[in-house]
Amino acid sequence: MNDFTNKAREIAKRLLADGTVSVVLGWEKGDEPYASAPTAITELAEVDRLIIDEYCIHEIAALLTDYRDGTDKVAIFAKGCDVRGIIRMIQDRVIPRERLHIIGINCPGMKDPNEYARAASGFGKAPAAEIAAKCQVCQNPNPFIYDEIIGDLQKVEPSNERFASVEEIEKMTPDERYNFFAQELSKCIRCYACRNACVACNCRTCIFDESKPQWVGRSTDTVNNMLYHIIRATHVAGRCVECGECERVCPVGIPLMLLNRKLVKDVDELFGPYQAGLSLEDDAIPPLSRYRVDDPDEFM
Amino acid sequence: MKVLPLDKLREALNIMANDAEVYVPMLRDDISGYFQWADNPADELALDLLNTYLSPKNVVIPQTEPMYKFKTSKQDVEITEVQVREGARIIFGIKACDLKALENLDMAFLTMGFEDEYYKARRQDLTIIAQACYKPGPACFCEGMGADRINPAADVLIHELENQDYAWEAKTSRGEELTAKIAALMEERDVTLPQAEPQSRKVDMTGVSEKLAEMFEHPVWDDLSSRCMNCGICTYVCPSCYCFDIQVSNRGEAGNRFRCWDSCMYREYTMMAGGHNPRDYKKERYRNRFLHKLQFFNERYGANLCTGCGRCVILCPNGVNIIEVIEKVKEVKLDA
Repeated sequence: MNDFTNKAREIAKRLLADGTVSVVLGWEKGDEPYASAPTAITELAEVDRLIIDEYCIHEIAALLTDYRDGTDKVAIFAKGCDVRGIIRMIQDRVIPRERLHIIGINCPGMKDPNEYARAASGFGKAPAAEIAAKCQVCQNPNPFIYDEIIGDLQKVEPSNERFASVEEIEKMTPDERYNFFAQELSKCIRCYACRNACVACNCRTCIFDESKPQWVGRSTDTVNNMLYHIIRATHVAGRCVECGECERVCPVGIPLMLLNRKLVKDVDELFGPYQAGLSLEDDAIPPLSRYRVDDPDEFM
Repeated sequence: MKVLPLDKLREALNIMANDAEVYVPMLRDDISGYFQWADNPADELALDLLNTYLSPKNVVIPQTEPMYKFKTSKQDVEITEVQVREGARIIFGIKACDLKALENLDMAFLTMGFEDEYYKARRQDLTIIAQACYKPGPACFCEGMGADRINPAADVLIHELENQDYAWEAKTSRGEELTAKIAALMEERDVTLPQAEPQSRKVDMTGVSEKLAEMFEHPVWDDLSSRCMNCGICTYVCPSCYCFDIQVSNRGEAGNRFRCWDSCMYREYTMMAGGHNPRDYKKERYRNRFLHKLQFFNERYGANLCTGCGRCVILCPNGVNIIEVIEKVKEVKLDA
């Protein structure tokens, strides 16, 4: 992927030099071989900090909320999953398409730098997987909306795994299910990393930051932790692009994609098959963000 | 030297737990932290780990801590119970980085003419069994932050020997007392202490605090903070971050007031009653975290509020690295 880095710098230089954009969102290298991190480059002289390597796993579109109030154009390097995130941001009116210059990256799958950091740290026991688990079942490695593109098209291995773990949970009795989630969510330390890494969590003021009224208590107990996660999952229902970042960034290993995939499945079953962030067309707006006369209404 | 054989450890912890809350590095659902020992088969001792992802600060500042209960009737409020938790506590196996962080917490909660009664209650009868740290990890930089990782000040200092038994040195009278309770489990042996492996990450803090005092408005914060996503992982896994909020939960006429960890990374943290937020953007929140760690705490207490444990470096999902921040700060050229 060395070639990717050179191309990325070439493109970023051109875009900054000719004034097309005022900032380039990409990745740079930290002080360990696995430590790639998102960055925002605004100066031509800094462009050579940009890299693209096998550790650029972050859903970089989440950083677009930092630019929502501007008028300048933003260049963003984007893998397939990032493009789905960008569509999320455009559909949610965080930033218009016209303000974005998207440089697609046909993505061979990424390694998780945090997994490598944890494995090296001595603090944990888990070894790092080569390619991150979420990337191994990725169905969208190739960006489908872009202004220019880097790399060769990646082959997609069809996977039936999408709802497999949800179906396991659905087989449980209600008590078993409650106990399972109570146990998992009792670990939550309420760092809100899942929310902040999420492209669907782009509200200007988050319900969990409100204090008048305070919708969810700040104490870390099972009830308030559950409220937090259930409200968040419900709020991103139909809008989750299934990038898996919430689960990746969780410092206490809560299987958050179980909740999100359950809601994805429910939306599928209620409104017909739908995948968020795959199209910018009007009819691709998330089912819960639009109204149709034939929407299900059994509850009424 | 006295030696506590590894196969006697559970028994020793059980004896200690008879008259104290004992906090031990353990795995609980794959999460490592200092949890209370109850000889629970579901808890796995995590003594083979270099350190735990969750810091031991919960021993003295639990994430959620009840303060008092109250009842209202018309205009009157009656406080029905003050929940100050005194009692003997023991922390087993704490490393120099986390111990230095405990010193920071002591400064914040017990000095400068103010004593926090909730903190003091948990802290005053705490016996510290520290473990010498011979094999630091790639994220460790406690030496740069002034910790003595082989010989930290504690009531008891233990050294893990090659066969995983613990060489045991009581260092204070409190440590002697504790040692006497488990003396029957110990053996007297000639031991060879391990060789200390060097710490690979170096950090030189000379002049950093003073320089930061000149850098509040410096543009470098825009660049540094661009990767941060403003979650609270760094502050919550940090052994020395101590900010808390005071909250209340009401049910009809009765309620309880509690405090819980808060994070300067959160927008709500600085939200004023009138709606103004002095740290409205992530740059301001990010800057505050590093200035508190490396400048403000220094100015008030003469110490850094970072002890080089490396947790934030390991766990930050977006690669924020305090050592890189320190290096960048040093590179910055200030106008004369």
